[in-house]
Amino acid sequence: MTGKGALIDQMGVALVAVLGVAAFFVFPEDLGFMTRIAATALYVLSLDLILGYGGIPSMGQAALFGAGAYAAGIASIRLVQDPIVLLGIGGVVGGLVALVTGTLILRARGLTLLMLTIAVGEIVREVVNKARDYTGGSDGLGGVSAAPVFGTFRFDMYGRTGYLFALTVLVIGILVARRIVRSPFGLACRGVKEDPLRVVALGGRPRRYLIVMYGISGVFAGVAGAVTAVTSGIVGLDSVSFSWSAEALVMLVLGGAGRLCGAIIGTVGFMTIHHILSAADPFRWMLVIGAMLVAIVLFVPGGIVAVLDPAIARFRKRAEAKR
Amino acid sequence: MTRNLRKALLGAVFTVALGMGTADAGTIKVGVIGPMSGPFALSGLTFKEGVEVYQAQHGKTVGGDTIEFIYKDLDAANPAQSKALAQELIVKDKVAFLAGFYFTPDALAVAPLIDEAKIPAVIFNAATSAITEKSPFFVRTSFTLWQNTVPLANYVASGGSKTVVTAVSDYGPGIDAETAFKATFEKAGGKIAESIRMPVAATDFAAFMQRIKDSNADALFAFLPAGPTAVTFVKQFSDNGLRQKMKFFSTGDLVMEPDLPALGEPALGLVTSFHYSAAHKSAANQAFLAKHKEMFGNNDKVTFTTVDAYDGAHVIYKMVEATKGKSDGVKQIAAIKGMKWESPRGPVMIDPDSRHLVQNVYLRTLEKVDGKYQNTEVTIVADQPDFGYKR
Repeated sequence: MTGKGALIDQMGVALVAVLGVAAFFVFPEDLGFMTRIAATALYVLSLDLILGYGGIPSMGQAALFGAGAYAAGIASIRLVQDPIVLLGIGGVVGGLVALVTGTLILRARGLTLLMLTIAVGEIVREVVNKARDYTGGSDGLGGVSAAPVFGTFRFDMYGRTGYLFALTVLVIGILVARRIVRSPFGLACRGVKEDPLRVVALGGRPRRYLIVMYGISGVFAGVAGAVTAVTSGIVGLDSVSFSWSAEALVMLVLGGAGRLCGAIIGTVGFMTIHHILSAADPFRWMLVIGAMLVAIVLFVPGGIVAVLDPAIARFRKRAEAKR
Repeated sequence: MTRNLRKALLGAVFTVALGMGTADAGTIKVGVIGPMSGPFALSGLTFKEGVEVYQAQHGKTVGGDTIEFIYKDLDAANPAQSKALAQELIVKDKVAFLAGFYFTPDALAVAPLIDEAKIPAVIFNAATSAITEKSPFFVRTSFTLWQNTVPLANYVASGGSKTVVTAVSDYGPGIDAETAFKATFEKAGGKIAESIRMPVAATDFAAFMQRIKDSNADALFAFLPAGPTAVTFVKQFSDNGLRQKMKFFSTGDLVMEPDLPALGEPALGLVTSFHYSAAHKSAANQAFLAKHKEMFGNNDKVTFTTVDAYDGAHVIYKMVEATKGKSDGVKQIAAIKGMKWESPRGPVMIDPDSRHLVQNVYLRTLEKVDGKYQNTEVTIVADQPDFGYKR
């Protein structure tokens, strides 16, 4: 990938890691909240993979997230407790759900597809709700507990282990996602997004690309769900809810779709503002959030990343001039 | 203009920063987690009003320590978020108590936290019986579905109804209500014609009304969570002419006080069972209502969640008293076990085993008195425990 996006994405990974570790020391009292940000960022990233790089509009991403979360949760209660194995289980289940549903729904495009993703989300939600013996239904699946990471670092009340664990997974996730979107396969997906007919003319198979990308996105979402389950110790119906799907879309649009760092920036921005406002005025904060989103969509349709781009371009130009 | 705006913003930031950082000596904080915005905002508001009325009546200090309530918004059932908020309250705000919790999963989510931090959590609403089993630090000042349903089922059986159709929301509390009703009613010799479970998100009940009609039962027992959908359910029951066909029984969730004007004439005469009615006749309730009216202008919003929070504040005050302000969850919980007092809802006692209230359950009839709708208490079923504990 060339162009201005490359640099910001390259710096992005290092930046996320450095800022993430710095935040660990600067805000030692907010680790619980920051753990949620890290896990959510990975979830929004999974949506970016299909929406930003494959042009698949989805309002059912929570189905994949929740599948991973519940799989990890149920596994921790009945099978294994090693957190890394649990992440693997979450990822595999998320990916499988995505592959199966993707094969079915990716025949459609545009609005029809959007509606199908909502339908998948609702079906998964209802299945989870009905399978009360396994999922706890509306009471939530409590008692999810993971063994210490590498046998030494326990998930404590202050969230130290939880945060570093989630941050590590996020950084690895970004690296892998970057590798994928820059691979020939990733480029082919972008091609499908721009012009599927042309991809066919070139001998490509748009639907197959999209299904694979959807599956990959499912793995990411599933891992994000598993991280949430492992670090919070509980999985609720909210993790498969429509509003959780919609919220991912909001955060992605806010940050800027089609850019990996957009997903991260959007999540951090939205959740931080959400957090501060709801603490400052627990009764009326939603009004401010709503106004802010309207303003962003009206004035900065490219998301926050679009605002940062000119500054980065200038920085780059200066760096080149020095050379 | 922008400069002024910037100044104002900076000012605001500083005020917030200063306010957050300092914890005066002698301040004991209580973190209240509840729905302060969104569709269930009314419940969060009643939590706050209940606590404020209690503080206005009993002062904001206990033995020299100021009790400060911090409110955190959790607009829908979201256990992971509930846990994150509780974690923040404990670690950052250094609260000595947690309180609130409208939905069951939100309360369940904090069980491991309060076990580790050893701080008591007073539940203002979440009504699934199993919650208090999950941690010895839970205390509940609301009700459980079992508690309110068992007396009603006995009443229905003694009232001559032979067959009953049950219709409940398909989630934890709904299933609790269905199970409690079925077990009690069948034991009393009645028969359940059909058990209907309705999606929690349902907004139209026409199809269910047909099934209720087709069941040809003598009576209906219904449970839906308090709120707009419950109002719709009761209205559709009346509109479909089912009132003439069979008797209607439900827990008080379906006829909470703020909803009564919306339910209107068709709901008159409905018989429900509940632990609190704003029309409860007692000196404690009169004093409570008078103070509430003085503070908030009218009593229109007073309902069970207001009193549940009011009593929750009482329990917290007593716990602070028990350790003279020191943070000691184990001792505080021990101190309130078996505690008795006169609540606006009537006499109550904290059951030492379940840490849930033993209280009167009232059978009420919806009436219009002086132009206002109210649930008039007709029969008192005294000292009912949580029948669902460890069941």
